[in-house]
Amino acid sequence: MAETVATADTHAADHESFGIDNRKLGMWLFLSSEFLFFGALITNYLVYGGDTFGATVVPREVYDIPFTSVSSFVLLMSSLTMVLAHHALTTGDQNGTRTWLLATAMLGSIFLGGQVFEFYEFINVQGMTLTTNPASSAFFMLTGFHGAHVAIGVIMLLSLFGMAKRQGGLSQQHGMNLELVGLYWHFVDIIWIVIFTVVYLLGAV
Amino acid sequence: MTDEAHHAPHPTTGQYVKIAILLAIVTAFEVALFYLDDAVDMGGWDGPLLIALSFFKFVVVIGWFMHLRFEKPVLTRFFAGGFLLALSLYGIVVGSFLVGLITR
Amino acid sequence: MTATAERSTTMTIFRRPESTEGFWSWVTTVDHKKIGIMYGYAAFIFFIVGGLEALLLRIQLAGPNGDFLTAAEYNAMFSTHGLTMIFLFVMPISAAFMNYLLPLMIGARDVAFPRLNAMSFWLFFFGALFIYSVIFFGDVTPPLGVEGVPGNIDPSQQTLLGGLPDGGWFLYQPNAGPSFSPGTAVDFALLGLQILGIASLVSAVNFLTTIFNMRAKGMRLLRMPVFIWMTMVVAFLLLFSLPIIAVALFMGTFDRAFGTLFFQAAGGGDPILWQHLFWLFGHPEVYILILPAMGIVSEVLPVFSRKPLFGYAAIVFAGGGIAFLGFGVWAHHMFSSALTPVAQAAFGLSTMTIAIPTGIKIFNWLGTMWGGRIRFTTPMLFAVGFVAMFVIGGLSGVTHSIVPSDWQQTDTYYIVAHFHYVLFGGSIFGLFAGLYYWFPKLTGRMMNEALGKTHFWIQFVGFNLTFAPMHWLGLQGMVRRTWRYAPETNFGPWNLAVTIGAFTIAVGILVFMFNWSWSKRKGPNSGLDPWDARTIEWSIPNPTPHYNYAENPTVTSLDHFWHMKYTEDSEGRAVRRDDADDTIARLEHDGRNPSSPIHLPNPSYFPILMASGVPLIAYGIIYHRGVAGKLLILIGAVISIGSLLGWGMEPLEEPHDGGGEHEPAMAEAH
Repeated sequence: MAETVATADTHAADHESFGIDNRKLGMWLFLSSEFLFFGALITNYLVYGGDTFGATVVPREVYDIPFTSVSSFVLLMSSLTMVLAHHALTTGDQNGTRTWLLATAMLGSIFLGGQVFEFYEFINVQGMTLTTNPASSAFFMLTGFHGAHVAIGVIMLLSLFGMAKRQGGLSQQHGMNLELVGLYWHFVDIIWIVIFTVVYLLGAV
Repeated sequence: MTDEAHHAPHPTTGQYVKIAILLAIVTAFEVALFYLDDAVDMGGWDGPLLIALSFFKFVVVIGWFMHLRFEKPVLTRFFAGGFLLALSLYGIVVGSFLVGLITR
Repeated sequence: MTATAERSTTMTIFRRPESTEGFWSWVTTVDHKKIGIMYGYAAFIFFIVGGLEALLLRIQLAGPNGDFLTAAEYNAMFSTHGLTMIFLFVMPISAAFMNYLLPLMIGARDVAFPRLNAMSFWLFFFGALFIYSVIFFGDVTPPLGVEGVPGNIDPSQQTLLGGLPDGGWFLYQPNAGPSFSPGTAVDFALLGLQILGIASLVSAVNFLTTIFNMRAKGMRLLRMPVFIWMTMVVAFLLLFSLPIIAVALFMGTFDRAFGTLFFQAAGGGDPILWQHLFWLFGHPEVYILILPAMGIVSEVLPVFSRKPLFGYAAIVFAGGGIAFLGFGVWAHHMFSSALTPVAQAAFGLSTMTIAIPTGIKIFNWLGTMWGGRIRFTTPMLFAVGFVAMFVIGGLSGVTHSIVPSDWQQTDTYYIVAHFHYVLFGGSIFGLFAGLYYWFPKLTGRMMNEALGKTHFWIQFVGFNLTFAPMHWLGLQGMVRRTWRYAPETNFGPWNLAVTIGAFTIAVGILVFMFNWSWSKRKGPNSGLDPWDARTIEWSIPNPTPHYNYAENPTVTSLDHFWHMKYTEDSEGRAVRRDDADDTIARLEHDGRNPSSPIHLPNPSYFPILMASGVPLIAYGIIYHRGVAGKLLILIGAVISIGSLLGWGMEPLEEPHDGGGEHEPAMAEAH
């Protein structure tokens, strides 16, 4: 949202405030709630992930840890490029901002590509689908929703990139938008940090 | 200008890159630990160790990349609040299924 | 920073809407007051719908072996009654109050995110219509995603009412799953609630940011009215509980639509998981339902007792305590679902502890009235009625916390009695107090007192006649959610009394509706301060000017407006200042005549446009097997995402060179 920002400086005399930009405060509140969202999905997996269901394939039997490790590394590095994009903007380096935004979007897309490949392997090669058993349902639900969050993030990154390209640079208004997208992006990364350990590393047989 | 100009200076590009390298190393270590556990019996320590390592990465990304270390404390309180609430509530639910403490 | 990029008008598809009057001004509004009013009227319409559903239930139960409704219709009616009253009435009408009053009570001109605010309303409205559109689009054909399983209702026998969602408002799995609730009716409920959840979550973020960042100068947190504190607490409850139900609803939807096995016991799924996830949300939800009304009552009682609220800080912290503890009691809804003794003891104890902060509030309300010079106006009657009825409901609630007792009470009418005493005797009485109390702010007129008191007494008698007998009917063994009872049970006579009570309530509501519509047009003018109130929303003219405050107020204490009119004598009694009337006249005059022009956020198409895409996605999910369904998902996604992109490029306020409502000046809304 492009809005007139009232900061603690300009409006300190006018009203009581926490002194944090409205949109930033709003984003942190929203992200706090997302712990409850992903927590439920992880709970779902933890409840079912350790069980066996007849002869059907369960996720922990089919993980490809090396592959997923590379994916995780890619997402982690995208957090670096994200923070570099923000840093570039704060130092007035519009070219750098665009470059790092694009890099983040690309790394995010590579991660998504990896997810798609992994899902393909599980479904077509291993025979584990969304409906094979509760554990597979829980696995695909958790990683699927995480992937959807990444995809939304990529769309937002590309929008910012597009705006920056069209307008010759990001204005102060849109600078805040970049920071907000950055917070969202890092959050999606930390959720993956949890998923990688709890679901993959601790789960794998 | 936003209020960020008034608080502690941002980490530099170099510092961000160093943090990213640290995170990559920790991740590599986690993967190594995973394979080590196959080869050597770690006596059940691998789980807590992996959790501790990933928690470290978790905190570092939040504190530095999300800049929470340098923000007003109220944001940390909200964020930690959500996290702790999730941990407690879901800990009880998962515990009930796995341990049989709550459901027969 | 580089130079600000000039906004290119060729990026926008629409010219910015400009209307300030008429239909389009409502459709594109971002003004919290208009949004609040829309929430209120929509919610009230659903109150009537939910009430009619209740009356149908009561006709069926008026005597033994009723056959006014079929069993299928009965199941649909009690399910939709619950869903409607909770999600389509109490929550939105609370939202109406919070929307209208929050900026006014903290001295702001709007909320932090006006367009998101509008989007929340339209998502609620379209979500509500989506749920009820099941009448036109729902069916009872063999279940989705499970080939070859026959439906448990012969489609040729489906009636209009019987096609509505029938899994209860709690949609327990696997009963509300694909095998036992075939057809699409339950899908409409699951997806509809999902849409409503998004609306409320966004509102929560909006209200919290507003409260934290937009209070008037001098309004420290502990100088805010209790209603605003309760709004804050409710927002936190929504923030942290809605994501849980969102996941549960996705899981339920996926089981039905895509064949996942989360809750299908045959496939290894565990139905108890639904109960945990649902009640993790469901219990905080009931505090979401009661706290706004508690906030309203905390405003009304002091005004009509002519005394400050007793123990303001205690009431505030008790509210927070109720919310916090409220997250720790969810399994008390599962005492009869095979929890271990350890869990039952723990949750029984935690449930008992909630009585403590609740009791603190009750004693403080009583302390407020004690020694006051009470005026029994209509709002006061409803507020006092709230306290009395809520205590009764709370007491029966505490009896539920004793686990063996609860085993007998569960699934009987004793539980029905409990939650109606707290939700109707509590929330709804409190909400009516608020409607009568703040009517002048909305309209500049007063509601008719005689009609108001008539409404109160009819509703009070009718309410108690309806729900008191349910206590002993339940303890005698009358079972819930059961479409008829046998004559041998001898439940008939009291059930008839209950039904008469229900129709009595309906009469009372009709009186209220007449009073409201008549008074809106013909009620006497209220003036600025009709109730001799305490809080600053009464320091501006009635009806509220669209910019709210002509000048940003400065607050120096709790009940700042009161202190503008009253001082204290040596014994601490309130003494009206000599210049109080002049102050009021000045506020009236200055409030209508801002000294410099005020600029407000412009109306926008994007909130309603964004909201309209979401139900399309929901329809698409239900019909995803066909091309039409897939297309709907695509179109809905394009509309919603496209709207968000357009929104992101639209400024909150257009550059003001003669455009917008006023000439350029200080922009106070962010």
